[in-house]
Amino acid sequence: MAQILLLPILFPIAAGIILLLCKEFKNRKPLLIYVGSVLVITGICAVFAMIQNINNGVAAFYLTKTLAIYFKPDVLGCVFASVVTIVWILAGFFSFEYMKHEKNEKRYFSFYLMVFGVLLGLGFSGNLITMYLFYELMTLTAMPLVLHTQSREAVMAGLKYLFYSFAGAYMALFGVYFVYKYGTTLEFTAGGVIESSVLRQNTTLFLVVTMLMLMGFGVKAGMFPMHSWLPTAHPAAPAPASAVLSGIIVKGGVLAIIRLVYQIIGPDFIRGTWVQTAWMILTLVTVFMGSLLAFREPVLKKRLAYSTVSQLSYILFGLSLLDGQAFTGSLLHVVAHAFIKAALFLTAGAIIYMTGCKRVEELRGIGKGMPVTLWCYTIVSLGLIGIPPTSGFISKWYLATGALETGIPVFSWLGPVVLLVSALLTAGYLLPITMNGFFPGEGYDAGRFLGKEPPLLMRVPLLIFAGLTLLIGLFPNVLINMLSALAELFV
Amino acid sequence: MEIILNFPCISILLAMFSAIISSALNGKWAKYLNTFVVTAVGVLSAFTFWYTYTTKNSYTYVMGHYPAPYGNEIRFGSLEAGMALFFAVIMLLSLNGGRKKIRLEIAPEKEKLYYIMINLLLSSLLALVYTNDIFTAYVFVEINTIAACGLIMITEHGRTIEAAVRYMIMSLLGSGLFLIGICLLYDMTGHLLMVYIHSSITKIMAAGTYQIPLLVTIGLIVVGLAIKSALFPFHAWLPDAYGYSTVSSAAMLSSLVSKGYIFLLIKLIYRVIGFRRFYESGIVNVLFVFGLAGMIMGSLYAIRENDIRRMISYSSVAQIGYIYMGFGLGTSIGMVASIFHILSHAATKSLLFVSASGLTDVSGGHKEFQELTGAGYRNKAAGAAFTVGAFSMVGIPCFSGFISKLLFAQAAIQTSGKTLPTLIVLAISTVLNAIYFLKTVIRIYTPVKDDKYEAVSSGKNMLYLVTLVCFIVLNLALGMISQPITDWISYGVTALI
Amino acid sequence: MNEMLLSFVVIFPMIAGICVPWIPWKKRAHMLVFLETAVLINSALMWILLFYRPAGGVTLFHFTGNLTIAFELDGLGSVFAGLVSFLWPLATLYSFEYMTKEENEKLFFMFYTITYGVTLGIALADNILTMYCFYELLTLVTVPLVMHTLTREAILASRKYMYYSIGGAAFAFIGMIFIIIYGTTTDFVLGGVLDPKKIADMGNILLIVYVFTFFGFGVKAAICPFNSWLPQAGVAPTPVTALLHAVAVVKSGAFAIMRVTYYSFGTEFLRGSFAQYLLMAVVMFTIVYGCSMALKETHLKRRLAYSTISNLSYILFGAVLMTPLGLAAALSHMVFHAFMKICSFFCAGAIMHQTDRHYIHELDGFGRKMPKVFAIFTVSALALMGVPGLCGFISKWNLVVAAIDSKNVLSFFGAGCLLISALLTAMYMLTIVIRAYFPGEGFDYESISDVKDPNWMMIVPLVIFVAGMFIFGLHSAPFVDLFLRIAQGQF
Repeated sequence: MAQILLLPILFPIAAGIILLLCKEFKNRKPLLIYVGSVLVITGICAVFAMIQNINNGVAAFYLTKTLAIYFKPDVLGCVFASVVTIVWILAGFFSFEYMKHEKNEKRYFSFYLMVFGVLLGLGFSGNLITMYLFYELMTLTAMPLVLHTQSREAVMAGLKYLFYSFAGAYMALFGVYFVYKYGTTLEFTAGGVIESSVLRQNTTLFLVVTMLMLMGFGVKAGMFPMHSWLPTAHPAAPAPASAVLSGIIVKGGVLAIIRLVYQIIGPDFIRGTWVQTAWMILTLVTVFMGSLLAFREPVLKKRLAYSTVSQLSYILFGLSLLDGQAFTGSLLHVVAHAFIKAALFLTAGAIIYMTGCKRVEELRGIGKGMPVTLWCYTIVSLGLIGIPPTSGFISKWYLATGALETGIPVFSWLGPVVLLVSALLTAGYLLPITMNGFFPGEGYDAGRFLGKEPPLLMRVPLLIFAGLTLLIGLFPNVLINMLSALAELFV
Repeated sequence: MEIILNFPCISILLAMFSAIISSALNGKWAKYLNTFVVTAVGVLSAFTFWYTYTTKNSYTYVMGHYPAPYGNEIRFGSLEAGMALFFAVIMLLSLNGGRKKIRLEIAPEKEKLYYIMINLLLSSLLALVYTNDIFTAYVFVEINTIAACGLIMITEHGRTIEAAVRYMIMSLLGSGLFLIGICLLYDMTGHLLMVYIHSSITKIMAAGTYQIPLLVTIGLIVVGLAIKSALFPFHAWLPDAYGYSTVSSAAMLSSLVSKGYIFLLIKLIYRVIGFRRFYESGIVNVLFVFGLAGMIMGSLYAIRENDIRRMISYSSVAQIGYIYMGFGLGTSIGMVASIFHILSHAATKSLLFVSASGLTDVSGGHKEFQELTGAGYRNKAAGAAFTVGAFSMVGIPCFSGFISKLLFAQAAIQTSGKTLPTLIVLAISTVLNAIYFLKTVIRIYTPVKDDKYEAVSSGKNMLYLVTLVCFIVLNLALGMISQPITDWISYGVTALI
Repeated sequence: MNEMLLSFVVIFPMIAGICVPWIPWKKRAHMLVFLETAVLINSALMWILLFYRPAGGVTLFHFTGNLTIAFELDGLGSVFAGLVSFLWPLATLYSFEYMTKEENEKLFFMFYTITYGVTLGIALADNILTMYCFYELLTLVTVPLVMHTLTREAILASRKYMYYSIGGAAFAFIGMIFIIIYGTTTDFVLGGVLDPKKIADMGNILLIVYVFTFFGFGVKAAICPFNSWLPQAGVAPTPVTALLHAVAVVKSGAFAIMRVTYYSFGTEFLRGSFAQYLLMAVVMFTIVYGCSMALKETHLKRRLAYSTISNLSYILFGAVLMTPLGLAAALSHMVFHAFMKICSFFCAGAIMHQTDRHYIHELDGFGRKMPKVFAIFTVSALALMGVPGLCGFISKWNLVVAAIDSKNVLSFFGAGCLLISALLTAMYMLTIVIRAYFPGEGFDYESISDVKDPNWMMIVPLVIFVAGMFIFGLHSAPFVDLFLRIAQGQF
């Protein structure tokens, strides 16, 4: 029965390819039914696979004698896969409505399905090479989503996305070779796979390799200095695609970094070295810079993209501390940010879809016409800023306390300070929309927004995301217990 | 079979007297006589070669009634006889290859003179190959020069006359130096026969006297002959002389005349000076450097040329460079390589000249590359032959040039200190050769849309065709079954002493 | 009997080729059937020989002294021979269709078929002289193919090709002479044939000579700075560029280098010497240089040619590692790259044949009009980039692992170069793919209504190559294992 694990990975990929090869549909309905059922079935399969409790993993086949394509759903992978499943299905339903005003729906949905499978594969990967495989596939299959509109801007953004991603992937691959050669196995093992004696002999080599891999996977997670693709690529995509790109795909990079640091190299080797310091500096720079750029950005989707840059580095900063508490915080933030950012982009999408407004200053008074949408927006915004009782508060709390707990000189207090400043900036770039939206000011005619509340297919996903944000904020314990257990295992 | 021992002498005399008789004949009969004589010399040499090769012996033949150490002698082993045979074959082929063209190239009343010159040339070549007396050698060197001058300027083309004058001046300078060398030798040793000079020199050396005069003498002789055989930088006369004289003349001058001097030099090195002494004198190094320079410079000049005949002529400068480079290595295998290259180059260069004439004929007589475009299709036999010659020059395996290159390289490796320079220059020279020869091959096989010139069918001129086939076969034979030939040469070199 | 077959497979195509222009064909189809049959028979014989390997060799004739023209089938040779004989019938099939638009078919097919024999001659050569002879011959028989179109450009290209190749051979000649004099034998023996007694005090000279030889044979393998002939030779008809300038000719250069490195000079002697470091540096430079030039190039075939330059140096990089692993990796890239590159060239050829478009910027929107060709082209692009699951990944993996295994710091940088090159490959290949599939908003498909997929003669070879790429990528273990056994001399 262990083979059921392959089902949620291969099924959507196959379904996507079949869809791609099909002739153009005359009606939208069969297409939507097909896509919807594939999404749901895959979700069910994924859940099944996760509760199967497969301990030994599944080696699908061998690339070479020693390179196995190997899947093993551990807790981390399951968390990732569940988040993916939730966001994917919801954003998928959202796009049923949204994609009405875009061309080439068939291509969009076929790649949408493929990426779904690939991401589940990424989550369930049991060793480094499998992860790398799905990492590359993720880059490739997500590319048509980015340049879907085919405008000149989108194509350029797609290329930028592609080349940055590959640059990162190849930097990481460079390290994979060394791990393969010096490590005992490529399988993810808490505490690392390289003998400590080997590490001691080749300290410099491995520090360089680790740094390269961090930077490499960091590209996907929008870490400075290779972040600039993100604010270009994410807004260029159709809104639901932006949502999953910003909410989920960037987390692929985070997942890879967790795997790398905690399960391949081992946190003990990195702790206290220049690699950790450099990593922390990079993340803090990114956090601050991302917020600042978002603050200055007038186009809503771009603003959200910059916000992603900043928020992801929260997560990475938490990871870079190599501390249990901070690790828990990071993972919490992964979950929280996924829902929040998806919801934010979907809101932006809904606004564009209904009104065509893209810039922030055009949104004055929008709350009059689209109250549900804007309420959802407000709730998740509060989450992103980190105001109780939302999920963002919990995760940031853990991050900050974790940072203070580590006692690393300078960074243990500098980190929380930067995080706080950034939270202020976040409030500064998100909340004005709410305020202006609900309170356009005296005598402002918000009439053009009247009756523009988006249809049900769009509203429901938004509401669910907002609800999830609140839910995690109110009842975080289940998740925290699970993640702390993981943190104890890893750190 | 004792009679065979008379053959060398007979062949020299035959050639010489036929020159005299020719002066009383008309052009047509002079041609027949000449053909007969060359063929006869070939046959006689073949017999001599067969005899000396099977008996593995070399023979001294006393001319006249004065015995050694005063009289005049001929001495021949298998190397000399083989050389004579080879020269006769190449001469016959070159003549046949240019036979039809000669009528266009020279005035009918001059045809007789032309054959006289060729007969003289043949006799002097044979004498240079066979003689054991250095003064006789000198005499025939001069005869050779005069005959060659005649062959060059007989077309009465302005540039050939100038070339002939240049050639005359350079040659006389060379023979002058050679003559001074001989005088000094005679002065020191009192002998003119090579073997006796050698023994005297050995005594002188043992006594430790006359060191510097001897060195000067060696230098004079070597430089004199090097000038005559157009070693770089004494080649100024060569391109015009080869480029504008008749086809047969060019083929013979490049493949025989200069080679005659070189062969004489080899004999002097082995038989008079002694190989070790020659090597120790340091002259080898001079030859080596000039040889290398020639290999490169000749090719560079050739690349610049826009005239196919002159290009082939400049290529000769490079090839002579190869031969002297082989001398310069100062080892006996280097010498073997050089001798092989004499054969290979003679066979190839005359082939090139003859086939080039076929190509220019179907291009309205133009020798510029622009006009030669597509000539390989208009005269298929000449095109194929030129390609073979070019491949051989570049050193493609299975052609004779490859074997020379192989031998030179093998010799170079076994000479410490000269290994890398030689090999690198060899490689560069190959590249340069490829540049100008293969460029020409591509040129002649590039079809042209508007055919300005008419094609000839190769069946029309059987003699020419047969000549080309013979040349190609000769080239391939040298390239494919070289082992017996190199064996023969290395044996022959030891038998020179 | 088997032994005689060795020389038969070399000579038979030559005879068949020479026959072509002399037979008065009534119909074009007859000639095609004749050629395809001849080539197929020869390939079948070759493969029979591969499976029933004759124990000994065959000596055709004695050249001079101990130098012979002799054939024998050993491990390395069988890889090359197998590769060539697999590809040739397919390429011949393809060229039937392609050549319908070119003139002077007979001459073309004559030389094309002769080249088959000559290439097999190189593969089967038992000693260095035989290899050298066929190497020179290869130059001569391929020059007419390059100048086939007889434009001024083609003639200049063929001249350049010839000068470079013959010049290279002239330098390789030096190495051959040294092996003849200082070797115990001129035959190829794994581990080298240098006689330790004779070379006691000539280490450095021999190393210099090795460098000369490497560069000499490297000219055909388009090593920098002797690479400029290859892009220029792209003026030849595509079957030539594809089969000869991506496989047969250029790989002969690489093959010859492997021969002299591993079978004549011997790795024991070369490993760790300045020659190795120098050559490694040159090869690494070529890898990056080729890719960068490819990126700059706007002509489709020339871009692929530059890509070939870079990929050939991958092979050479494996070879100069001077370890069995390196040789095995080089062999695997030799085979795999052949499939990838011939496939992408054939796609380019199909485009040129069908539409007469040569430049990349003219390919906008072709993805929809030539779906088969571009699907295949995309696969080959991905394979060239080294996406896991396709053959390019396996060979790159082997190369880098071999590099790391050689414990040579310079080779670590080599691994870096390979990855930089992979990134550049992604750039120059995927821009084409993206352009074809995403021509931009409002692209007028009517403007390219003349574009359509070619017929089966072109598609069938392409499909086979794609299948090959997948097979090598997914099931590489037996092949890689074979290459490793060859490199260790167990085959």
